[in-house]
Amino acid sequence: MADGILFEERGIPAAAVITDAFRRTADAMARTQGLEGYPYVAIPHPISSLSPEELRMRAEQALPEVVRLLQEEVKG
Amino acid sequence: MSRGVVAEPTREAVRGAREAIEYCYERGWTDGLPVVPPAEEFVEEFLAQVDRDPEEVVFAQEHLGRKCTVRLAAANAVMAGCRPEYFPVVLAMLEAVRDLPVSRGLFQSTTGQAVLVVLNGPIRQELGFNGSDNVFSPGDRANATVGRALRLVIMNALGIRPHAFDQSTQGTPAKYSFCIAENEEESPWEPLHVERGFGKEESTVTVAWARGTMPVEQRDSKQPEHILLNIADSMSYGGGYFPSPRGHGSIVVMGPEHAQLIAQAGWSKRQVREFLWEHFGRRAGELRRLAKDGGLDPDLSDAAFVRFASGPEAITLVVAGARNAGVSTVCPTFAWQTVTRRIPAKRS
Repeated sequence: MADGILFEERGIPAAAVITDAFRRTADAMARTQGLEGYPYVAIPHPISSLSPEELRMRAEQALPEVVRLLQEEVKG
Repeated sequence: MSRGVVAEPTREAVRGAREAIEYCYERGWTDGLPVVPPAEEFVEEFLAQVDRDPEEVVFAQEHLGRKCTVRLAAANAVMAGCRPEYFPVVLAMLEAVRDLPVSRGLFQSTTGQAVLVVLNGPIRQELGFNGSDNVFSPGDRANATVGRALRLVIMNALGIRPHAFDQSTQGTPAKYSFCIAENEEESPWEPLHVERGFGKEESTVTVAWARGTMPVEQRDSKQPEHILLNIADSMSYGGGYFPSPRGHGSIVVMGPEHAQLIAQAGWSKRQVREFLWEHFGRRAGELRRLAKDGGLDPDLSDAAFVRFASGPEAITLVVAGARNAGVSTVCPTFAWQTVTRRIPAKRS
C-alpha cells in the first residue's frame, strides 16, 4: 500500500493488491500516508499455499480490477 | 520487597494515581497492563541519566511516518515502570534493535516475533537484572520493565499496534517483555559479549528476533552428546522450519547444569555451537512428509540430512537459569542475525 501511494504521489499509476485478510492494515496504511480510501484490489486469502496454476487464476481474476485502478485518477 | 525509601501514599494520592492510570488507558498508551503516567518531571529524571539531545531520533519507521526520539524513549521507559537509572540500557537496547536486519518489516510481520534482550557485564548486578532461576518469568523489575519499554516504544512511538500495523497471526506473550541476563558466574564459558569482542568488564545489550521459548529436558544423562542432541532436536522441529533466503537460525539459552556437564567433558563453547549446527536440520524424507521441501533438490535421497543453517554463526548460545536441573531453552527465530551494543558507562 505504502509503495503504491508513493508511486501515485510521483505521478506513476499504481494498483496495490492485497489478500482480504489484510484489509485493516491496508486501510490504516492509506490513512497514515494521508490518502484515506485509496482503492486497492483485495483477492481471496490465502495465497501462499496455492499451486502456481491456482495463483495464476487469482491473478487473471484480479486483472480487470488492476487495469481499472491503473486508469483511475487518484484523489489526494 | 519494600526498599523502605518511599513513604506510604495518602488515600488522595492513590486515587489520583488510579485516575492518571485510567487516563493513560483512554489515550491508548498501554499494552493492556497499567502504565506509570509519564509526567514531564519523571521524563526529565530519565533524560538526566544520559548525555543525549532529547530531540535526537533513535529509531524511525519512515514508511509509517513515525520516529522515536530520546525524549519519547524516556517517556515510554517511564510508562513501562523503569527506574531512571535503567534508561541508558533502554537507549542502547533501542539502538541495537534499530540495527537488526529487517527491523523495518518484522515488527509488522505475521510471524509475530518478539525481541529477546540479553544483558552482559557488570550492569547486571548494578541494576539487578536476573540471570538465574525464573530467568524468563515475572518477578524482577529490571528484566520486566526494560523488556516492556521496547514494546511500548514500538506501540506508542513507532505506531505499530495490534489490530492495525502489527499483523501477528498469533504473536507471543514474549512481546510483553523478553529480557534476561546471562548467568556469567555459573557459565563455564566466555560470556556472549566477550565472544563478540567486548571486554568482560564492559556492559552490553544483545538483541535477537525470537518467537518464544521452548523448554528442553534432559535430566537423565551427563553425556554432552545426549544433552546437545535433545537441544538440536528441539531446534529442528518441523513446524519451526521456514525455508527462507535469509537462512534459518536458533537461539539456545542453556541452563548452567547442562553447560557445566558439557564443559566438564572438555567441550568449548565453539565446539558446542558447531555440534548444534551440524545436527540442526531434518532428513530430506521428513521434510517431504511435512511438505517443507520447497527448494530441496528432488534427486536428494530421503535419508540425506538437510542442515537448516548456513553455519555455526546462526546459532546464538547464552547460559542462563538456575543450576538446579537439566533444563535448557530453545528460542526459535525467523531471522537469526543478532546485534550487540555497549552500554555507555554511568554519567558522572
